[in-house]
Amino acid sequence: MKDKREAEIIRKILLGDVQAYGVLVREYQRPVYNLMLRMTGDEDIAADLAQDAFVRAYERLASFNQRRRFFPWLYTLALNVARDWGRREGRDRHVFVEDAAVLVREQDRLDEPKAVNDRIDGAKAFAAVMDLDSKYREALILRYRHDFSMQEIAETLGIGISAAKMRLSRGLDMVRQQFDGGTND
Amino acid sequence: MTEKRNKTHMEDVIINAVQNGPEVDPPADLTCRIMGRLHPKRPSLWIRLRMWFLRPWVVTVRPVTAIPAMTLAVALLALGFVAVREPVEKGAPELASVRFVLHDAGMHARNVSVVGSFNHWRAERSVMWYSPKAKAWILEAQLPPGDHEYLFLVNGTQFVPDPNAPMTSDDGFGHRNSIVFVNGTNEQAL
Repeated sequence: MKDKREAEIIRKILLGDVQAYGVLVREYQRPVYNLMLRMTGDEDIAADLAQDAFVRAYERLASFNQRRRFFPWLYTLALNVARDWGRREGRDRHVFVEDAAVLVREQDRLDEPKAVNDRIDGAKAFAAVMDLDSKYREALILRYRHDFSMQEIAETLGIGISAAKMRLSRGLDMVRQQFDGGTND
Repeated sequence: MTEKRNKTHMEDVIINAVQNGPEVDPPADLTCRIMGRLHPKRPSLWIRLRMWFLRPWVVTVRPVTAIPAMTLAVALLALGFVAVREPVEKGAPELASVRFVLHDAGMHARNVSVVGSFNHWRAERSVMWYSPKAKAWILEAQLPPGDHEYLFLVNGTQFVPDPNAPMTSDDGFGHRNSIVFVNGTNEQAL
């Protein structure tokens, strides 16, 4: 249903209704902005790059295959914008780490000890995911946060399906290894 | 907890963390900033054609119209059945030879095709050849009787109406297609 609605919006845009694009911007600005924030670690740069990504998507909308989902196409384009920025800046890899402490909300401290422990583990795990090399981190985010299929992950990251599976598996392994022999038992 | 269970548990924690990890709100004016950078574009003829073919079709059937339509359809089928049983004298409708010409004295175009209702607007089916003598792109086609809408596709990107076509028709998007009439006597009626 959502895909059909988006197809109709894209049709309107291609026929000259520029304002219809605002619907897609509002829908996806959050994940695109957060992608840029993870890639740059700077809010102002992230906002500028998110703008660039949406403008570029608008300019290239005619090449979008309307039988596909719009978001993976947009995400691929946004990732390329971020990579271009990284190359220009001479830093292909920049890590943005969330402060794990803020992930444990005050009211969570009142929960039973096991649940609190699990959340702390989750907070640490999330921080560890954010600390991964972007190629592993984005694969995990695409799969588990945005529900991309393996095919979509492979296309977005410009790799084969086997490589996409490998990145997911390797990403999980790398995060897990940080906790082996740690507090989780 | 065994090693295997521990591994599975940690994997669940990681996946759950990715699913529910915090995200930062984008700047409140981000949408406005993006929309302010966009320039309205006039869709090309090609895009309008694509959109026309890809547009959703709505078929509404009402009993008041469906019953007479079905009666008519059955009658036509029956008539067709009777007609088919008659000996066929001439077979399929005669095709008429139609010559498409686009003058290009300096051969500025790299390639030209004819796209139209008769070839489902597919350029690869009707590629024109360049005649140095006529200084024009030419294609001879065999078309059934009737009127056919068409355009020239230059260099695979630019749609050009036939400057010599005496008739055009509105394509529904503010542009015009050229029209060729074929009268079925092996000559085109222009």
